[in-house]
Amino acid sequence: MEIAAAAMATRSVAVSTGVSGEGCRRSTLGGGAAATVLLGMKNSRLSGVKLASTTGGAIIAGGVSRVQCRAAAVATPRVKDNLLAEAEQRWERALETPLEGVQFTYEEFADALSKYDFSFEIGDTVKGIVFKTDYNGALIDIGAKAPAYLPLSEACIYKLKNVEEMGLVAGVEEEFSIIRDDDDNGRMILSLKKLQYDFSWERCRQLQVDDVVIRGKALSANRGGVVVEVEGLRGFVPFSQISARQNPEEVVDKELPLKFLEVDEERTRLVLSNRKAVAENHVAFGIGSVVVGTVQTVKPYGAFIDIGGVSGLLHISQISHDRLTTVETVLSPGDKLKVMILSQDKERGRISLSTKKLEPTPGDMLRNPALVYEKADEMAKTFRQRVAQAEAAARAEELRLQQEGGLGLRGNFGSTAEALGLNELDLADIPPAVQV
Amino acid sequence: MKQKSWDIHLEEMMEAGVHFGHQARKWNPKMTSYIFTERKGIHILNLTQTARFLSEACDLLANAASGGKQFLIVGTKYQAADLVASAATRARCHYVNKKWLGGMLTNWSTIETRLQRFRDLEDKENMGLLNQLPKKEAANLKRQLAQLRKNLGGIKYMTSLPDIVIIIDQQKEFTAIQECITLGIPTICLVDTDCNPDLTDIPIPANDDARASIRWILNKLTSAIREGRYNSMEIK
Repeated sequence: MEIAAAAMATRSVAVSTGVSGEGCRRSTLGGGAAATVLLGMKNSRLSGVKLASTTGGAIIAGGVSRVQCRAAAVATPRVKDNLLAEAEQRWERALETPLEGVQFTYEEFADALSKYDFSFEIGDTVKGIVFKTDYNGALIDIGAKAPAYLPLSEACIYKLKNVEEMGLVAGVEEEFSIIRDDDDNGRMILSLKKLQYDFSWERCRQLQVDDVVIRGKALSANRGGVVVEVEGLRGFVPFSQISARQNPEEVVDKELPLKFLEVDEERTRLVLSNRKAVAENHVAFGIGSVVVGTVQTVKPYGAFIDIGGVSGLLHISQISHDRLTTVETVLSPGDKLKVMILSQDKERGRISLSTKKLEPTPGDMLRNPALVYEKADEMAKTFRQRVAQAEAAARAEELRLQQEGGLGLRGNFGSTAEALGLNELDLADIPPAVQV
Repeated sequence: MKQKSWDIHLEEMMEAGVHFGHQARKWNPKMTSYIFTERKGIHILNLTQTARFLSEACDLLANAASGGKQFLIVGTKYQAADLVASAATRARCHYVNKKWLGGMLTNWSTIETRLQRFRDLEDKENMGLLNQLPKKEAANLKRQLAQLRKNLGGIKYMTSLPDIVIIIDQQKEFTAIQECITLGIPTICLVDTDCNPDLTDIPIPANDDARASIRWILNKLTSAIREGRYNSMEIK
C-alpha cells in the first residue's frame, strides 16, 4: 500500500519533470533544491519525493493531510537511499580519478588496439558457433563486433524449412563463408552454400575419375538436351547422350543412371551421359552375333548404329563388298538394319559392326537392302560355321605341330615345300604362260 | 571503501571484443567522453574508463552483497539470454531473460499475485494433481505454467523489489531502466556507443552485442557478488 502511494507520488513528479528535461536526471522545480545542488544533478528523487508530498496530496483528492503524512513517512526508503547515494558517490569518484586502480595504462591500450583488430572480408571462411536458431535462419558468433546471421536461403543448396535440418543447433561449430559485410548493426551475412558447392564439384570430379554410375533426376528439357540435378548441381545431358530407348520428353521428372563426361568448375560446365551409363550393361555381346540396330548418325567414314543402347561404328568398308563412295546412298538416320558384331572394345565402349558378311551375294547391300535384312540370320550362321571351322582347323594344326615338336625334331619343321602344300599341287592343268 | 583490486586485464578485454562500439553514424553524442577513437567506421571505447567503472561497480556489488542485498540481472537480447540465466544462477541472483513485462517493478503487487499463482501451479504439478483433472483443464493449466515459467522463471524467488539492478543492453531494456529510475533503484548498465550514460547510475562502457564481451563482464560482476556474500558469511 505504502510503497504504491510513494511510487505514485514519485511517478507524478517524474511525469511533470520528464516533460521539462530530456533523458537527464530529474531536476526539481524548486523546494528541496538545496539537497539537489549538494549532490549535483543526481539523486533528485529525494527532493522530488519531498516535493510530491504537496503535489501528490493535491492529486489525491480528499484526505490531503493523511496522504501527506503517510507520504512523508515513507518518502525516503532508507535502505535504497543509502545504496543510491553510494552509487552516486562511486560514479563521481570514477570520473574524477580515471586511472586509479586500473591495471594498465592508456598508452598500453592504444598500442594493443591494432593487435586485436578483426577484419573480415567478403569471401572469407570463418569458424563460428551457432547460438540461436529462429524460423528464418541462425545467429552465429564469429568473434566480431556482433553476431552474424545465416539466412535460411543461404544455408543449403537444397530447399529447407528450418536450419536445424542442416544440423545447425545451438552449440554447433562450423565453417561459414561471408557473403555480405556489415549492415547497420555490424552484422554480417554468412553462407554455407558456397562451401557446399565447392564440395559438390570436388565430389563430381572424384566420381568422374572413378567412372561411377550415379542416379540423377531430370528437371527439364530444353533445346539440345535435358537438365538433370546431380549432387545438388545442375548438369546437362545432350540428346545424343540419352539412351535411345527413351524418348527425351518422357524422361523429365524421372531418375536416370548417369556417368560424368565433363566436369569443369571454372566454366561451371557439367555434362553427363545416360548412354554411357547404360552401355555398361551390354558388354555381353558375343562376337559374331547379329543384332537389330537403328542408324543414328551418318558420317563420311561410316555410320553410327545404335544397338540396344550402345552405339557401334559401321565402317564404310564394312557395309558392302562393293566399294562405296558415300554412306548416304545406302543408309540414312533412322534406318533399321541387322548388323553383325565384329569386335568389341569394352574399355572404350566401342563396338565394330559389319554388314558385309551378311550379304548373300556381294553387293546386295547396295541393290537390295531388304534381302540382306532377311538373309542376315542365315548368313550369320554360315559365317559362324566358317569361323568355327577355321578355328577348329587352327587348333588341329597347333596340336599337330606340338606333337611333332614333342618328338624332338627341333630343327626339322618339315620342308618348306610341305608347309606350302606344294606337293599336293597339281600343276598339270595350267596353261603355259607364253604362247609358244 | 575499496577492498581489493578486481582482476581486470587488458588482454582479456580486448580478446572478448569489449572495446568495439557500434557504427560511427549510430552513436549517441553523450558518449563522447567514453569513446577513444573511430576505426573503419566503428567507434572504439576507452577501456581504461571501462576498467575504472567496472571496478567501482564490482565494489558496489560486493558491499551490497555482504549487506545481504538482492540483485536483479536483466538481459533479453538473443545473445545475452542464456548467458544471463547461467550467470544469475551461479551468483544466486534473480534474472529476467525473456521479455521484460511492463510494470514488473512498478506494478510489483500484481506481479506478486502472478508469482503466487506460479508457486501454486508448481506445487500442484509436483503433487501430481494436474493429472487428475480432465484433459482440457490439465492442458490449460500446463500451458499457463509453461508461460509463467518462461516469463517469470528468473524471479521466482523474489519477495520484494531488488536493491540493485544490472542491465545488459540499455537500448533494448529501456522500460526496465525507466522503472528503476522511477522507483529509485540504483542501476549498473552496460552502455554501448548508442546509449545514454546519464540514465544509469554506473555506466560500464562496453560492447553489448558480442557474446564474449557480455559473458566476460557478467563474470566479473557475478564474481564480485559472490565475493561479497562469501565475506559476509565469513564475518558471521
